[in-house]
Amino acid sequence: MNDLVDVSLQVNGVRYDVAIRPWRTLLEVLRETLGMTGTKRSCGEGQCGTCSVLIDGEVVNACLYLAIEAQGKEIETIEGRPEGEPVLQQIQRSFAEKGAVQCGFCTPGMVIATKALLGDNPQPSEDEIREALVGHLCRCTGYVQIVEAIQDAASRLARERLR
Amino acid sequence: MTYLRRLPKFEYVGPRTLTEVCSLISGGAPDDAMLLAGGTDAILQMRRRERVPRRVIGLKGVAELDFVREQADGGLSIGAMTTLHSLLSAPAIRQRYAILHETAAQIGGPELRNIATIGGNIAGALPCADLPPALMTLDAQIKLSSHRGERWMPLRDFFPEFGRTVAQDDELLSEIKLPRPAPYSAGTYLKFHDRQSMDMTVVGVGAFVVLDDDGRTVRELRLAYANGAPTVFRAMKAEAVLCGQLFGEKVLDAVAEAACSESSPRTSWRANAGYRLSLIRALTKRAIRRSWQSASSQKGTK
Amino acid sequence: MSAEIRHEFQVIGKPTPKKDAPLKAAGRAEFADDINMAGMLHGKLLRSPHPHARILSIDASRAAALPGVRAVITGKDFPGVRYGNLPRTRDYLPLAIDTVRYIGEEVAAVAAIDEDTAEEALDLVQVEYEVLPAVFDPEEAMKPGAPQLHAPAPGNISAHTESEFGNVEAAFAEAAYIREDMFETHAVKQGMLEPHACVGVWDSFGKATLWSCKMSPYTVWRQLAMGLDMKPGDIRVVQTYVGGGFSGGKQEAMPMDFCALMLSKKTGRPVKFVHTMEEVLTIGHLRHPMKIWLRTGTTKDGRIVAQHCKLLANGGAYSSIGGFSIFLAGAMLNLPYRVPNMRFESNRVYTNNGFCGALRGHTVVQMCFARDSQLELIAADLGIDPLEIRHRNAIQEGDVTANGFRIGTFAFDECIKRVAEMSGWHEKRGKLPKYRGIGFGCGAHLSGARLMGHSASAAEIRMLEDGTVHLTTGSTDVGQGVETVMSMIAAEVLGIEVDDVTYLKVDSAATPLDPGTFGSRVTLFTGNAVKQAAEEVCRQLAEIAGERMGVDPQDLIFRRREIVNHKDEKQRVSLKEIVRWGMFQQGKVISGRGTYGASEEKIDFRTGQGNLSPAYNPTACAVEVEVDPETGRVTMVGLWGADDSGTPLNPLAVKGQVIGAAVMSIGHALWENLIRIDGKVMNPSLRDYKMPQATDLPKLANFEHSNVITWEPEGPFGAKEAGQGAGTGVVAAIANAIHDATGVRLTRLPFTPESILAGIEELKEKEAVTES
Repeated sequence: MNDLVDVSLQVNGVRYDVAIRPWRTLLEVLRETLGMTGTKRSCGEGQCGTCSVLIDGEVVNACLYLAIEAQGKEIETIEGRPEGEPVLQQIQRSFAEKGAVQCGFCTPGMVIATKALLGDNPQPSEDEIREALVGHLCRCTGYVQIVEAIQDAASRLARERLR
Repeated sequence: MTYLRRLPKFEYVGPRTLTEVCSLISGGAPDDAMLLAGGTDAILQMRRRERVPRRVIGLKGVAELDFVREQADGGLSIGAMTTLHSLLSAPAIRQRYAILHETAAQIGGPELRNIATIGGNIAGALPCADLPPALMTLDAQIKLSSHRGERWMPLRDFFPEFGRTVAQDDELLSEIKLPRPAPYSAGTYLKFHDRQSMDMTVVGVGAFVVLDDDGRTVRELRLAYANGAPTVFRAMKAEAVLCGQLFGEKVLDAVAEAACSESSPRTSWRANAGYRLSLIRALTKRAIRRSWQSASSQKGTK
Repeated sequence: MSAEIRHEFQVIGKPTPKKDAPLKAAGRAEFADDINMAGMLHGKLLRSPHPHARILSIDASRAAALPGVRAVITGKDFPGVRYGNLPRTRDYLPLAIDTVRYIGEEVAAVAAIDEDTAEEALDLVQVEYEVLPAVFDPEEAMKPGAPQLHAPAPGNISAHTESEFGNVEAAFAEAAYIREDMFETHAVKQGMLEPHACVGVWDSFGKATLWSCKMSPYTVWRQLAMGLDMKPGDIRVVQTYVGGGFSGGKQEAMPMDFCALMLSKKTGRPVKFVHTMEEVLTIGHLRHPMKIWLRTGTTKDGRIVAQHCKLLANGGAYSSIGGFSIFLAGAMLNLPYRVPNMRFESNRVYTNNGFCGALRGHTVVQMCFARDSQLELIAADLGIDPLEIRHRNAIQEGDVTANGFRIGTFAFDECIKRVAEMSGWHEKRGKLPKYRGIGFGCGAHLSGARLMGHSASAAEIRMLEDGTVHLTTGSTDVGQGVETVMSMIAAEVLGIEVDDVTYLKVDSAATPLDPGTFGSRVTLFTGNAVKQAAEEVCRQLAEIAGERMGVDPQDLIFRRREIVNHKDEKQRVSLKEIVRWGMFQQGKVISGRGTYGASEEKIDFRTGQGNLSPAYNPTACAVEVEVDPETGRVTMVGLWGADDSGTPLNPLAVKGQVIGAAVMSIGHALWENLIRIDGKVMNPSLRDYKMPQATDLPKLANFEHSNVITWEPEGPFGAKEAGQGAGTGVVAAIANAIHDATGVRLTRLPFTPESILAGIEELKEKEAVTES
């Protein structure tokens, strides 16, 4: 059963027509077929959050999602839109400046989760931030600087909006 | 040793309607075709080669199975493909079925809740699943659909033994219905696990209390357990101990002892049976106490 | 000339974001699994299902015939030379040849066109085993008649150390108070999120190159040469970004590394291996589970006069760095308290489990758990305040410990005081509501160790014609911030911006030979080397500038990308101009080298006598917990820590390091436990190997760390280690807090809700008996 299936995926606003095997996860197709390696693979079972992407604006584990089921949906990854995304970039800047990045392996997933969080809840409390990070492991930071970075991104984005 | 592998080869079908799903599974043997709801368990079962289906029937595209609908009789109807995230976002659930909201919020994190579905959590038939005990305390009914038609049954009769349901191979869990909540009623689900989040349940206790119009006497108590036995179950003997009684610590002890004797938790590397029983004893009382307080505080507000 | 003559630093001491953070946050940092090469094949390893077995035969013909499979190899494809860390403990093979000693040991490897095919091929490799009796418990393994794992290690003794300082017998005879306790620790993992991964290329000239996420590429390089029986010069190891290290498999050559190269040799293609998390959790590289028997004698007022420790470490199937692990355990018992007389005996025992080695904090964490738990018991017995007993025994600057550690800066008393203030200790201890508790724990760490073999760091700085520099060392950034702090040191000396320094990743073909990243050595060892290299560049530049400016080179200082005459600051010229003048007009190559060996003192690893590190870092912390008395579950309410890391060079990175270390210890104490039953790992997944999540930890307001700032003369710009010490006292602090909350004294890790509830119930029964 080697049957390739033609699939059309909309990733970061760009349409990709690819022939894939139906048993490929979205993570495998992003990394191996489309060469988008910013989304990481680690635990393979939805526990670590390194493979988080947005599907129609909702954050999901790409390792638990069949690529074939992501057809017709808007997929967003850490690479972002080619023309640049101010919100994503602000989150990335806050992570870098606040010391939230150490080894950086969890960072893309954390940044994506933050984008989803701030989309739903632009001014989250500390508890809400921590809740939003459940399902994301970071072994380096102990999360303190990650929480601080998300607070920083939220307040900077709020100031941007006021302007 | 076996390890977590890439997915096995399979053919994928993505039906758009319930009728299509029913016809796809109308003649299938269980291992030949596999229904894929959210996939948070099913994908892993395939990666561990616990299941190697020839054909995967993906349900994410069946829009008619994704709904939360208030019923004319005051009840609530939930489609099987409703994600835990959608459960949490439904105002009707937050306001009128708080125990269900509370339970869904304790499962996984945002990523998993955006994929995992209520139907998958039930149909997986795992003793550690959290939604089934909460739903059992709400007296949920479930609908099984097949090409032959549909049938309704109480959720509490759905799990005959470990890892199994009474659904036939050609049947699909399609809908969950909750009756209208009684006045002076409230419930809570206490999930015990090691960390604050993401863990598999060691023991889960759902309690739902309905008070008489006096707001003090317990008219009805429903108790259901995750990981208290090889399946999720209702502890009906323990429930009976409190029925018609005034709430009090002494009778609570009796309920908890009865719940323990109805339970048969297992010893595993995760926890010893004795410890699980201690949890059942403590959390049964705690859950009833909290539910009772919440239900009795409704007095005068109605 | 040197940076010290300036009173204020331009770069050092300022919170500086990690240089590679923007790249990583954008998902553009290339980790080993992100590498894709033309024609690349994918490798997978076949693992033993038996804890102990003889391999009778391996038939790979069916696997090799599977379409898409390019090669299958077994242990016989390698020269059969054992490799390892210490000369007397070389017991690793790239793949097992005749015996497997734990479940998960590698016996064959496949390269195929994709991972799916490689996995399928593993099913077709037929291995005939003769199952041998296995032993999992170290005490059983030492008994006569127990299954023997390695012929050269009778009684399964993998390593043994014994040392005595002072006169222990006499001191115990005079002690006013003596107690002994047994503590048990468990198997835990590094838990880095990036699974081990590598790409191997064997080129047509017979040279082998490995791209891999290694913390210590040169250690890997050396071990690859051993196991492949090749000249080191024919092997090249190139570091990729490292997605978390914490020692373990990223510290050593692993079977996947050898197999990537050998399969590339067989196929002529690049071969990539990536472990699944399940493999990572199965193979070993665990923290040593230990039984620690500790006997301590004190005076009436709680001053320690003698300690006797017997330690039994479950080493698992292979040596790894285990010989050093138990040595270090004994050596570090000498810190941070004064112990004038000490006896230490330890055995590391082979068993049919995954093997144990180094993990953040190494064996210091276990010893601190035992010692600081016992100290609390002693304080209670003698009616001394828990902080007072620590102050009374605290090592002071200038001390020489019984085993010969020469203590430089060591602001331990101040650490204790500061934690007491931050945590509100005096307001809380004994005054919190029932089942709320606060506990104290202390520890210490070293700033790199003098080791047998190569332990010197080196650095090279090449000046580029635009006034920027390339900096190379043998130390890797594993997330801790080496690329930034080394760049800061170079920038400070050269008077340039941190961004003017490009810190290159380690490549054994291009960067200086250096043991790499481990043992908290980099800031001090490599930092000193970088400083020296930068000073050499300054000397060269000053010579050119002096000539061009007509100024004595001794009067020139470097700042803000300029060279300035400090006697007449109007005389200044841009650095870039001087560089170009020197290069273009004088034909010079401007580059500097530095080394730091800390070689002036030696350690006698047989007796344990000697000064192990150039500098030592004391640490203290307080933990507040709440315990649910009906379930035994612990909630972390607060953690306050202080340590003397010398002068923090990059406070932003130091904060991340110390909090990260503390949180790892919280996980190890409360939730993490790699459970093996009959040698089989029961929980090889991140669902069941439970590392702390963001919701498991104290809130920001109750999670603080403070640096007690000292100026360590041995360190570059006064710095010492920061990444490990802060985790050493946490486990005991949690044990002590749980005791304060519940009265339950836990001496066995991890502190599960089940064990705590059992303790609470036992206490209740005792109370009931007393009352009746």
